[in-house]
Amino acid sequence: MQKIKGFLLIGIVILFLFSNLTVISATELTAEEIIKKRDDNEYFDSVKIEAEMIIVSGGRKIIKTMVALSDKKNSFVEFTNPHDRGTKFLKREDNLWMFFPDAEEIIKISGHMLNQGMMGSDFSYQDIMESDKLTDLYNFKIIGEEEIEGRLCYVLEGVAREGVKVSYYRRVTWIDKERFIGLKEELYAQSGKLLKETKTNEIQEIEGRWIPVDSVMENKLRKNTYTGFKITLIEFNPEIPEGTFSLQNLR
Amino acid sequence: MKRYFNIIILFIISFLLWSTSIYAKVDIGGELTTSLINIIDNEGKISPYLQESLDLELFLPTLNNTQAKFEIYLFNNPMSRGFDYLIKKLYLKHKFEKLHLTIGRQPISWSFGSMLNPVDFTLGAIVAEEETLAKFQNALEIYVPLDWSTSLSLVAALPENSEEIKWGLRGRTNLEGYDLTLNYVREPEIDFMGTVLPASQRIGFTVKGDLGPIGVYGALGYYFEDNEDGDLAYLIGGDYSYFFEAGNKIYFQLEYLSIKKDNLSTILGPFFAGNITNNLNENIGLILGMANYEIDEFSQINLMAISSLNDGSIILIPGYRNQLSNNLSLNLSAAIYFGKEDTLFGANVSEGVQPKPKGMISIGLTYSF
Repeated sequence: MQKIKGFLLIGIVILFLFSNLTVISATELTAEEIIKKRDDNEYFDSVKIEAEMIIVSGGRKIIKTMVALSDKKNSFVEFTNPHDRGTKFLKREDNLWMFFPDAEEIIKISGHMLNQGMMGSDFSYQDIMESDKLTDLYNFKIIGEEEIEGRLCYVLEGVAREGVKVSYYRRVTWIDKERFIGLKEELYAQSGKLLKETKTNEIQEIEGRWIPVDSVMENKLRKNTYTGFKITLIEFNPEIPEGTFSLQNLR
Repeated sequence: MKRYFNIIILFIISFLLWSTSIYAKVDIGGELTTSLINIIDNEGKISPYLQESLDLELFLPTLNNTQAKFEIYLFNNPMSRGFDYLIKKLYLKHKFEKLHLTIGRQPISWSFGSMLNPVDFTLGAIVAEEETLAKFQNALEIYVPLDWSTSLSLVAALPENSEEIKWGLRGRTNLEGYDLTLNYVREPEIDFMGTVLPASQRIGFTVKGDLGPIGVYGALGYYFEDNEDGDLAYLIGGDYSYFFEAGNKIYFQLEYLSIKKDNLSTILGPFFAGNITNNLNENIGLILGMANYEIDEFSQINLMAISSLNDGSIILIPGYRNQLSNNLSLNLSAAIYFGKEDTLFGANVSEGVQPKPKGMISIGLTYSF
């Protein structure tokens, strides 16, 4: 299990990528409507991504590369950098499976391990698996407007709905008023402590969608550490062969 | 037959390689490791030696649902003082519509997440999360997927020391979030004089899942015996993660194995060849514990302990790992044995038995490419 250092970018897709929104004229919108526009853009039939994850801690930097396929409920990720080459993950709803390439074994991952950093990064497995619509998980309200990197943003605060299991009790999100992309997000524990902060460094328009292709997540509990995520290739609605999201495909 | 088995597979892979090289990319990867290993004997004398190894793998393209694998392990052998090699993988796998067929030298183990596995295809293939050479078999495997999580596997292997075929059958499924497997193995037996014995048979069942925040797993094995009752072995275990305020994590794993002493040696494998020379019908209770603490994104420290509840002997296995750069990692590990004379993990005094070291300390660098 020590080798369990893997992971999934689909989450990243869900965390940053699909915080994209279509360009609309912003009239006075409610918090629900703003988040819904963001949510609506997070849901797609399928996506294929090639990406690299840059883990920085102190003066050291390690780069992991990966290919991932995802549909609305399932994800399949394979790492391609030399150190982790052939390591694969399959997420089926709330279950996670890992393929160890040397041993050629498929092991089911314990649920508590979903909270650990994937591949030594600041992203957790749970970050990735939280694929429900944000509006189903949180009650949002608008708490202001701010400028981020010259872009005017809505600032929204979301507090976890009662009885709903979430990784972060509260989240504050800065959403571009024109493109409806999340440019920044702060994730808090129930105690009020800031746990993580994500920022979008670069956005590109791809196939009519505004996609954050370069983002960074900072673990605020640790010093001098952050994880960057760069998309090198993205394809929407690729043809996914039957059986892709199965244990047999991990072998 | 066995003599030509690998040659035939190698020939086929070579042909595939030759025929596809003009339009497909072939990649080479692996790990280069150099370690300084220090053996500590019972008198405290330290004998150091250098161990170098190269694990080399060819990454061949998959063509028409056919995949070829070749992995060789080159190492300096301290016994012969020369270089030696072991072919880990040399196989062809074809994915038919209804089944996957794999033929050649391949790793076969039926791990389910435990540190020891009393119901593996080859007992001792994985010991304390480390694979052993027993795992690699000249074999044919037929894998039949029935749905996304349900499958049947049939394995026919040619063991190194036998002309007989070893058979195994395994079913796997996922039920309500629990990973369930059921298996059967029929294995030819030969005693140390080379006499062929009746084949041994065993059946095994494993389960892995979650109970709230704790990961749980278990195994139940039944080893058939001729003309008498069989032997029962069982294993129960769990794992748990605790997160500190600073974001660091410590991971715990604990398991208990109950098994007849006679069956223990193979499960412990070559790493922990304890004193299993008497009272072979005695039931042994082993407890294994592991704690792994992530210091930061790149380094972790761990401690594993294996203890016999029957005699109190124990092995402590501390370790430290640091990924120094993208491709370079540093590993420190040790194994220290504690116990009275002739206990399971203690010093042995039996005549004719090779003295067991008191411990081992290793420091190594691994370069991945």
